Amino acid sequence: MAEQSNNSDPNVFPVDTRFQQLARRPGGVTRDAAIESAQRQIESMKTDFVNWLDRELQELATSVELLDLNRGDMAALDHAYQACCGLRDVGTTMGFELVTFVADNFCGILDAMKAGAPYDREMIDCHIDAFLLARTEPYCHMRPDQVPEMTRGLRRVVELASASAAREAK
Amino acid sequence: MTNPTINLRDLIILIADPSSYVRMISHSMLRGFGANKVLEVGQTTGLLQTLSSQKIDILLCDARLPPHGGLVITRTIRRNADNVNRTMPILLMSSDTRETTIRSARDAGANMVIAKPMSPKNLYDRLAWIAFSSRNFVDTPTYFGPDRRFKIEGYPGGVGRRKGDGVVEVGQEAGPALAQDDIDSLFSATRTG
Repeated sequence: MAEQSNNSDPNVFPVDTRFQQLARRPGGVTRDAAIESAQRQIESMKTDFVNWLDRELQELATSVELLDLNRGDMAALDHAYQACCGLRDVGTTMGFELVTFVADNFCGILDAMKAGAPYDREMIDCHIDAFLLARTEPYCHMRPDQVPEMTRGLRRVVELASASAAREAK
Repeated sequence: MTNPTINLRDLIILIADPSSYVRMISHSMLRGFGANKVLEVGQTTGLLQTLSSQKIDILLCDARLPPHGGLVITRTIRRNADNVNRTMPILLMSSDTRETTIRSARDAGANMVIAKPMSPKNLYDRLAWIAFSSRNFVDTPTYFGPDRRFKIEGYPGGVGRRKGDGVVEVGQEAGPALAQDDIDSLFSATRTG
């Protein structure tokens, strides 16, 4: 363990961690085989993913309803934000790129609301509708650039929300 | 360096992410890579408890891990001189890939940032990069962590440096999201000589 330095000169020292030592050992799975194996693991999870997605969307809708009842409820806003981040973080990995796009956009709306943008039910509803579209065939296998009208529209909504938050902040 | 092989068997890998599904996916990827000792936590309190009770070989930590956030936790781990895990590699996972965020992660002492959503390829290559890149540690009154000024000879997986990597300008605003290659560049190219 390095001593804490007591002067302004940086103490620079080599570190060879156990991770580095062991990860370099011979006998590991080759890169291509490892990636292929990991991809197979993900493929095997895809059958349950839609069920998980439906549960998460239901939870998100519940959080939004709570937010609708009490528009200053930061706990409900945080809960919706966390649920949305969860969807954003896994959508593309599981092959649902549009889910990640819509979730990322919705996080932008919720960020704007946290920053002072007024609550706007229509902005929220259009994202909930977009989620429902993004989970169904054939949209669930599409990329955002394959549905330009939808992506442009949702991006515009975020721009409006962000602009509104910026005005409130002044 | 081209297509290096890493051996994750018997390495203790800790995944810290608030989403159980992200933890499950990351765990599955690591098992696919050959890892057999993977732990999971969902909050910083569980993370700190785990770190105080056992030696961890590498930490995969979400940048917004509640309640403190991954950057604060990274800084806390690096600054605690009594922590046996003080120098362990930390791979921050973040869906916020704006340049200011990536720089903050680097300045907190993270070894690398991986953009979410993750792919097996991106995760494998970042782990290989950490395994095969020799970086000194720097200890100053204001920073403890991997040397932020280092020269990299090449990325794992045959990914090369880009032409403009020599000088990195510091942005004033948060700016747009960066692609994984740009994130890698911010962790690699300050010292070019």
